[in-house]
Amino acid sequence: MADTRVIIIGAGPAGLAAAAELARAGQDCVLIDQRATPGGAIHRQPAHPSRTIPMSRVARLRFESLMKGIATPRVQFRGLSHFLGVDGDGFALIEDRTNGRVEKLAAKAIILATGAVEKIRPVQGWELPGVSTAGGMQVMLKETGIAPQGRILLAGNGPLLVALAAQLIRAGNPPLALVEAANPMTKPLTALGLLRHPALLGEAAGFTFDVLRSGLPWMRGASLVRIEQAGSALAAVIRQADGQETRIEVDRIALHDGIRENRIGLPQTNLQDAPIIVHAGDCRQTLGAPAAVCDGARAGRQVAALLGAKACDVAKLERQLARQVAAQKRLARIFSPVAALPALKDLPDETVICRCEGSTVGSLKALLSVKDGLSGREVKHNGRFAMGNCQGRFCAANTAALMAQLRPDMPEASEADLTGRRWPIRPVSIAALLSAAPAEQTNDHEVRL
Amino acid sequence: MQTQGHDLVSTLDERTSNIRATIENVLVLPLSRHPSPRSVLIIGCGIVGAATAFFLARRGVDVTIIEREGPASAATGAADGAVSVASKRPGPMMVAALSGVALYRELLGDGTLTDLFKPRSTFVVAASDAECAVLEAHAGALRGEGVAVEMLAHETLIARFPALSSNVRMGAEVKGDGHAIGYRIVNRLLSLSGVTVLRGVEAYHLVEAADGRIVAVATSRGELSADAVVIAAGNGAPTLLNCDGVMKPRKGQLLVTERAPALNASMPGSIMSGRYLLSKGSQKGAEVSARGYGLVVDPLVTGQFLIGGTREDSDARQTNDLEAVRHILTDAVAMVPGLADIRLLRAFAGVRTAVIDGLPLVGRLPGRNNLFVAAGFEGDGICLGPVMGQAIAAMACGETPSLDLSSFDPARFTSLEVAA
Repeated sequence: MADTRVIIIGAGPAGLAAAAELARAGQDCVLIDQRATPGGAIHRQPAHPSRTIPMSRVARLRFESLMKGIATPRVQFRGLSHFLGVDGDGFALIEDRTNGRVEKLAAKAIILATGAVEKIRPVQGWELPGVSTAGGMQVMLKETGIAPQGRILLAGNGPLLVALAAQLIRAGNPPLALVEAANPMTKPLTALGLLRHPALLGEAAGFTFDVLRSGLPWMRGASLVRIEQAGSALAAVIRQADGQETRIEVDRIALHDGIRENRIGLPQTNLQDAPIIVHAGDCRQTLGAPAAVCDGARAGRQVAALLGAKACDVAKLERQLARQVAAQKRLARIFSPVAALPALKDLPDETVICRCEGSTVGSLKALLSVKDGLSGREVKHNGRFAMGNCQGRFCAANTAALMAQLRPDMPEASEADLTGRRWPIRPVSIAALLSAAPAEQTNDHEVRL
Repeated sequence: MQTQGHDLVSTLDERTSNIRATIENVLVLPLSRHPSPRSVLIIGCGIVGAATAFFLARRGVDVTIIEREGPASAATGAADGAVSVASKRPGPMMVAALSGVALYRELLGDGTLTDLFKPRSTFVVAASDAECAVLEAHAGALRGEGVAVEMLAHETLIARFPALSSNVRMGAEVKGDGHAIGYRIVNRLLSLSGVTVLRGVEAYHLVEAADGRIVAVATSRGELSADAVVIAAGNGAPTLLNCDGVMKPRKGQLLVTERAPALNASMPGSIMSGRYLLSKGSQKGAEVSARGYGLVVDPLVTGQFLIGGTREDSDARQTNDLEAVRHILTDAVAMVPGLADIRLLRAFAGVRTAVIDGLPLVGRLPGRNNLFVAAGFEGDGICLGPVMGQAIAAMACGETPSLDLSSFDPARFTSLEVAA
């Protein structure tokens, strides 16, 4: 058993497609996800089945097909389980929250399909309670089927904001305003090019139509300047396309500035004595769900072939991926900001970069004021950037970018320099770490690869 | 450019040292065997290299540090931070540790280490008959060296330390110890002294003149010359000294929890299991486990806990394995049950440099007037780094250090030879 196992981390489109492909090749696999049910962020299932939010036909069909693919005894789905990383002995560590245990699993290969994380451009006040990410709000909406209460403002850049606005409208609590750095309506010809990607266009048009029809203020070419506490509410200061500043009082603000690969803290692929590690889907390259399905299948075939299955042709999958790359490029052009947003280094010194430890733009500037260029690791240690409970999830990339802006002459620090690549990738209960599974043998060093 | 802080602490030192250098150059030089060097190149930017740089810069010496990775990137950056005499046996390491702790207090007092040194007691606790016996003997030895130690019976110990398990039998409060985070000390010493650190530069070998003097170090950035060279390169020292077999890497695994302010506040100092004395080999004849498990739980100023650790000779990778982490945490929870209710935030590993006879190498290389080594501090680098840096700085400037370094003299190993 142990010597043939493949572990897939993340049961979103890429992980599901990879599992189905491995099963087809006669390979057993364990599919791990932190949620109770498969689907990932894109196909997040409601906690209560009666409370679903409407899903587009394309999305529904995609999810049904993915679920069919894993309906085989070869795929073991393990929900409510968190991947903690690969330990020094080469074991994959899984925190199983159904039984409160950390287990070590031997594996021949690990497919990382951890999806994407949101980019957030920090502004003054983004650390205040009531501010979340748009993706976080969307997931909450999908899980509860209920729109968050109170007055909502959406701000930032990218198609997800339009999608969330439409979903909030449908759920009965339209946002007060949608602040968008780009102006997609000025790019009809670029948008027309999406005709070659009918599924994407269909979804985008549906969301856009709902937003336009609702009459909610869609402030295009605008940006959030700062957030202030206004009694128990929040005040968002917005610079509009004409340069005028306006102030809107709301209860919640959801920020979003695009997505990027979620590789935070993930193990390196070339570890000594470790299983083969392959990235798939948005975690390899953020191209969205349709591409993640192709890429997951590609990764599944690749691993199956590495483990001795007959190699499958992946040329068709590669062509499909190339089409999705083109579509995403087009989407990025449609959503390119009208005016350049202020660089991180031009933000006021009080702007918080790391929300866990309260480290600011000013504290990084002070730290870097020495004549030597500090490395990412020194910045982490001495400025306490990327050292909090989120382990750099929200601040490492911004800290690295700010370092590059402040010290353009120095070698660039990477996000991984700040986050490190050690397990546990997420904080883990000590009680769970100590609660060994009864099946775990003390001599498992012998049976592992 | 030197920082203001440096100017404040060292103007006087610089002036006197400049005057001395002038006098030596004019009058004394022909007679002096070891004139104060104008420039010193330090190989390695752990706590020992940074402290040496700090004390040399205070004397007005022009210092450059070359560092393969970055400051505090090896053992210093993954240390438990104990500034402690609690686990020392009487002897030269005890004397050195006492000086080390005293220097930390002095540097805290003069503002150099403001906020970075936390004075606190170490509580060595015993949970079995064997550990009680070891602890009583050890406490007696510490007292004999002038260390303030208070023996605490079960009830007193629990009253002072409500977080402790009721299974502990007795404890010894070793007063006067403290805690310092290695990488923060390095950062402070570097920023105060304003020395240049050449990051990402590897030292290949030393370059000697016909008369045996070291004139330069061949590095990945070409030959860098200096009047004197200090090797403070930890596990990088053996290749520069051509001395396989004298030093070996010894890995340690350490853990950091999330913040738990209430539990943290209920711990007036760090806890060291009586077994740590055994694993550290402080007690002669004690059995040492293969992975050298010991237990230290240190409440940090952030409200977090630092928990360690291992002493492993078989593995020099900076990795953590579940087996060791579980072992350490099992011991920790047995000692402080409240730890089971919080989360582990980070695990990390560092690789110490151990010398085969258990004593560091500190001093001038035999037959080399301007080449010094300070390496092999094993688990005591944070405690001893500053005091050894101070001693090497004095030695490099032709003075006799106030701390007796004779037991650490590299000359005790005849195999040491410069890799030129």
